Amino acid sequence: MPEPLRVVIAEDAAIMRDGLTHILTHRGHHVAAAVGDAATLLAAVDAHQPDVAVIDVRMPPAHTDEGLHAALSIHRGHPRTGVLVFSQYIETRYAAELLAGNPEGVGYLLKDRVANISEFIAAMHRVASGGTVLDPEVVRQLIGASRRADELAALTARERQVLALIAEGRSNAAIAAALVITSGVVTKHIASIFAKLGLTPSDSDNRRVLATLRYLQS
Amino acid sequence: MVTVTAQPARAGGRSPRAMLSSLLAGPFQRRAWAELAWLAATVPVAAAGFAVLVPLLLVGAGLAVIAVGVPLAAAVVLAARRLARLHLRLASVLLGESLPVLPPARPAQGLLGWTRSALGDPAGWRAVAYLVLRAPLAVAGAYVLVALWVYYGLLDLLAPLQVLYHQGQPGIHPFVLRAPDNAVLLTVRTVPGTLALLVIGMISLLAAPWAVRSVAIADRLLARAVFGPGRLAERVRELERARTRAVDDSAATLRRIERDLHDGPQVRLAALAMILGEVRESLHSVPLRDDDEDARVRALIDSAHRNATETLTELRDLSRGIHPPVLERGLAAALASLAATSPVPAALTVTLPARPSPAIESIAYFCAAELLANVAKHSQARRAAVMVTGRQGRVVVTVTDDGRGAARLVPGGGLAGLAERISAVDGRLTVVSPAGGPTDVTIDLPERP
Repeated sequence: MPEPLRVVIAEDAAIMRDGLTHILTHRGHHVAAAVGDAATLLAAVDAHQPDVAVIDVRMPPAHTDEGLHAALSIHRGHPRTGVLVFSQYIETRYAAELLAGNPEGVGYLLKDRVANISEFIAAMHRVASGGTVLDPEVVRQLIGASRRADELAALTARERQVLALIAEGRSNAAIAAALVITSGVVTKHIASIFAKLGLTPSDSDNRRVLATLRYLQS
Repeated sequence: MVTVTAQPARAGGRSPRAMLSSLLAGPFQRRAWAELAWLAATVPVAAAGFAVLVPLLLVGAGLAVIAVGVPLAAAVVLAARRLARLHLRLASVLLGESLPVLPPARPAQGLLGWTRSALGDPAGWRAVAYLVLRAPLAVAGAYVLVALWVYYGLLDLLAPLQVLYHQGQPGIHPFVLRAPDNAVLLTVRTVPGTLALLVIGMISLLAAPWAVRSVAIADRLLARAVFGPGRLAERVRELERARTRAVDDSAATLRRIERDLHDGPQVRLAALAMILGEVRESLHSVPLRDDDEDARVRALIDSAHRNATETLTELRDLSRGIHPPVLERGLAAALASLAATSPVPAALTVTLPARPSPAIESIAYFCAAELLANVAKHSQARRAAVMVTGRQGRVVVTVTDDGRGAARLVPGGGLAGLAERISAVDGRLTVVSPAGGPTDVTIDLPERP
């Protein structure tokens, strides 16, 4: 059982805010504050210095991307607080803005992912410990739009699955669990992928994610 | 219960009595006074304009051989435009007429540009024509004002006073009625003669408003004939305004629907899916009893959870098709997201001096999306480019690809659908796509609908 997290939630829809607070609390985490707008969020993060802030993109007053700006500002000002941005839409542009600069401790998920609450909490843990989390939808769009289509075509179907999971920020163990294979096989796949794409292998999960993302976006 | 009252006077044409009463009431109506005020205001304006402009224009034309005359003529045209504007506004304000509106001139910078823009301005020349053609009307108006109102009207009514004033003096002082050229028309020395003058005066005053009205009507017809926008053009303008409103309204409505979906059903459904997910995990974490009922409940919850998440995906696609939220950040941001997800690598350049209206942004976005989707589906292109430029109130979106070309506007096809959508705001679609490529589709939209 991983450590309990100290969480600040920023979400303007009360039903989601309260539901998430209830479930997280029930599972032993500490929700230090649950707020409905960006200004209160910044104050709450200053006051509580949480492990992770879960932030909706669209919040009052303008309901456009206040949450994104707040997340970037928290990420700059509170490097020890992970920011997990969630939204009802995925915009690759938002993902690019979040990952520009230092992408450690940053996550971007579709709001739908709360439907699988254990995975959502796992993502919170990853972000809290300085990892990067990307929604499969973002990864799908990145791979779909990648200018490296020819090189990607050289991967086997299984390798492409593994590549996508790496880009989402999963660890070897998580990839093994997701694909129901052993971690030895995962290591083999990863070595093969990195060799085919000409990437430098790396032990750190996070550096591996960054290498992959940079590769896909270049 | 509805009571119907007969109205005989209006039932079958106007009775002679009604006509007489309206004739007699003429001078005492508000409208008559407004028209009189209008005439009194326009006569000096017209006189001044005619006296100054025509000679100057002639001099300008004469001097045109030496360069000085050209700017002079330009100044005259600009002045004529101002005067005509004044005339039209006087008529609009005092007569309450809906006359063509002459927008103020916008001369270009620099003497050369200024001269050229003034001389090349059709509205300015129309103003000159209007003032020249209006000259006889101005004369008629002045005549009506001076002769009918003052000379034959008010002065004649004063005749009895004069007779009374001079009563008892040796020899009645004659009341002399002169024509405008000062020729003696009538010399009245008797009481019956005075009474006759009184009658002439009253008739003049009764007739004067109708004469004024004739001048006003003639002026209005002239203004409409010269400045074009008659009823039809006015109607076109009205329809254009209505269309702009409709396009803007529908864009605003789509945005509202998207926002309502986002703040209502979507987030509620996400919360519901979260709770179902939690219930599902709780159920799965307790050991299954050897009991069909337990298995059935688990299956039901699993199915509900799956349905909720699938519906969320559908709702998101639906909502994005209505109005992509990233458009709130402007066309450039929205197109950047679009280009980033394009299966055929698409380079994007956006040069817009100002944000177009939301409706135009939305049309431009959906056109670019459709065109990029076409590129991916049909062109076999290796790369594409989206370029957006804004100039002179237009937004031009160009999507090019290096594919096999031969894209055609086929009735009922995707491009024809786009053309239709664009034409709703007076936009244009141009397809240049020779067989073998490259394809170049250009969409030219107004900045505002």
